[in-house]
Amino acid sequence: MRTLLSAVMLALAGAATTPLPAQNPDSLRRARADSIRLVREIEAMTRRDTSAQAPAPPRTGPVNPRLLPDISAVGDFVVDLSPKGSTQENASRLGVREVEVQLIAAVDPYFRGELLTAWSDAEGATLEQAILTATALPWGLQARLGRLPLPFGKQNILHREALHTIEFPYVIQRFLSEEGLKVNGVVLSGIWSPFGFYQEVQATVADRFGEASEDLVAETTPSRQLHGLGYGIRLRSYWDLTLNANLELSGSAVTGLREQPLAVPVDQITAVLLRQTVAGVDVTYRWRPLQEGLYRSFLLQAEVMRQFNQRNVPANYAGPTRHFTGAFVLARYQLSRRGYAAARYDWLQDPEAGGADLHAGTLQYQFYPSEFSKLVAAVEQRGWRGSGGTTRILLQAVFAIGPHRPHPF
Amino acid sequence: MNAFFGIAGLVAAVIPALGQPAGSRNPYLRVVTTTTDLADIAGQVGGVRVTVRHISQGYQDPHFVEAKPSFVLDLRRADLFAYVGLDLEIGWMSLLLDGARNPRINRGGRGHVDVSAVIPVLDVPAGAVDRSQGDIHPLGNPHYWLDPENGKRIARLFRDKLTELDPAGAAEYAANIRAFEEKLDGAARDWSGHLARIRGAPVVAWHTSWRYFAQYTGMNLVGFIEPKPGVPPSPSHLAGLILTMQRTGAKTIIMEPFYNRKTADFVASKTGARVLVLPSSVGGRPGATDYLALMRYNIGQVAAAVVP
Repeated sequence: MRTLLSAVMLALAGAATTPLPAQNPDSLRRARADSIRLVREIEAMTRRDTSAQAPAPPRTGPVNPRLLPDISAVGDFVVDLSPKGSTQENASRLGVREVEVQLIAAVDPYFRGELLTAWSDAEGATLEQAILTATALPWGLQARLGRLPLPFGKQNILHREALHTIEFPYVIQRFLSEEGLKVNGVVLSGIWSPFGFYQEVQATVADRFGEASEDLVAETTPSRQLHGLGYGIRLRSYWDLTLNANLELSGSAVTGLREQPLAVPVDQITAVLLRQTVAGVDVTYRWRPLQEGLYRSFLLQAEVMRQFNQRNVPANYAGPTRHFTGAFVLARYQLSRRGYAAARYDWLQDPEAGGADLHAGTLQYQFYPSEFSKLVAAVEQRGWRGSGGTTRILLQAVFAIGPHRPHPF
Repeated sequence: MNAFFGIAGLVAAVIPALGQPAGSRNPYLRVVTTTTDLADIAGQVGGVRVTVRHISQGYQDPHFVEAKPSFVLDLRRADLFAYVGLDLEIGWMSLLLDGARNPRINRGGRGHVDVSAVIPVLDVPAGAVDRSQGDIHPLGNPHYWLDPENGKRIARLFRDKLTELDPAGAAEYAANIRAFEEKLDGAARDWSGHLARIRGAPVVAWHTSWRYFAQYTGMNLVGFIEPKPGVPPSPSHLAGLILTMQRTGAKTIIMEPFYNRKTADFVASKTGARVLVLPSSVGGRPGATDYLALMRYNIGQVAAAVVP
């Protein structure tokens, strides 16, 4: 295992550097042959360039006359080399974790449409996002309607393959959703700067807060009454500390009725609706020197969340009766134009383990062959208090094709 | 819990007051550009009737700019937004425009200006393009401001757009552009001797960003450090490039200040060439404080370097 990992890391490191090959006769011959071939290519290119010296006249026609939407796709592959067996949901060692296909286009002068479908080995085909964005509201407001990521914290709004780590932090997996929480609802946001810096409020009304597992059936659905809907709020504050560094401090909260398990089913009813609220604070510090920004950057991010569960519960109840807290800290440093090192520490009172403390530390190296592909190698050590630790070794490959929309800042 | 709903209600109540209609009380046209070059030319044409902000810095790679929320605040109040286009800003501009929620400068708005629309574009790929060709710009090479003839085209576009948005300033804009063009023509006469020395001189560049500069000056770009746009060089590519430089007699390598010059220094050490770190935008080095100074500096540096 160690040998395999070393080989992978060496391959990545080797690809990241560009020294000339060792000066032995074979390599010199190869380099000379390559050089001759490249000179010919350059000469051909130069000839083409010469013929192309006449510049194209200024554009007069449309770039996209058929009004086609931007179409893009993302592939996300994960290899699990954990010594005690795969830790993936479907126990696979090598799996297509997800393939996403996205369509984006302006619908009309007032709306933009965005559809994102995903396929995975574990879940088959799912609708990830379907968003109608109102772009022409008064007072600088923006409304987004449909199925979309809940604006909560910094990481939940990202697609999983766009994270700085292979998986979401444990606090997000346990308090929101394993793949980040998406909701069917409306998000209304407004921007202002009464104190001279950027602030934004995002208010969400969702059909429900989170998804229930299939075996939890309550008498009614949470959304039967208005107070059962999911309600969320997020306040972002952003400061430029210098041209090279900035800070974001934000707070988020979401509340709603959720199905919680009964100890003994009653007439095929297995769950009761109880209120659950999650509140959190996130802080992100970024440093990226503008001139050397291709080669150096640093990010430090932390989120703290607390899950509030209802305490006046029915007698026949088997769900959580206490509050839980969790957090993570992530640091990511750019080593070279293509290479990044990252570390994350997670701590969580795990609701799935009766509130036992979960600790996890992750180290990883990310290599970007280009803007459009990413290779990641990660080692994670995790464990619950009172039980042994587990080592996980994960490799990930991600690629994007087509005009992919930039990820949120 | 009640406190949470209280806060949520309060926030919901104040949301309608958040969006301030972007101040029509300001007497100046607020211009925001993506690059310093466009900002400088817009400022020279707009004069005292405009305020100008830019998003990227002159010493920064304009392909890779962080879409910081603070830029959104500038764009939110802008009357005119001008960008280089040809997908130079594709990685970050849409986030800023979406975030700004300013219909005046969104695509289709009167203040949305794709400057490349008036430019005769170089390097428009023929045939199929895909990412195996590197970080290629399918609409053509976007680094057109490094040709002063295009600088004039940009200035004329700003004159027309500012006049459309602010007809009362038409005479002032016309006078300003005349002054700008006269300065540029005068400078061109000054550096004509430099151009005579540069013409035909073999030069290697890091990136294809110097194609328009080469077209204007007549310097002969015989190769690039990057094997394909945006792709770092491999050892075999560098070996080939060194042979090309030896064959063509190229003794000058030009690169922007945001690239790591180690690779260029290595090639220079093998060929006896000189590495010139040239600003590709206004503000890219001390002294390149405006468009004319930028062009004058770059032409002077290359002329001095290519003289045997």
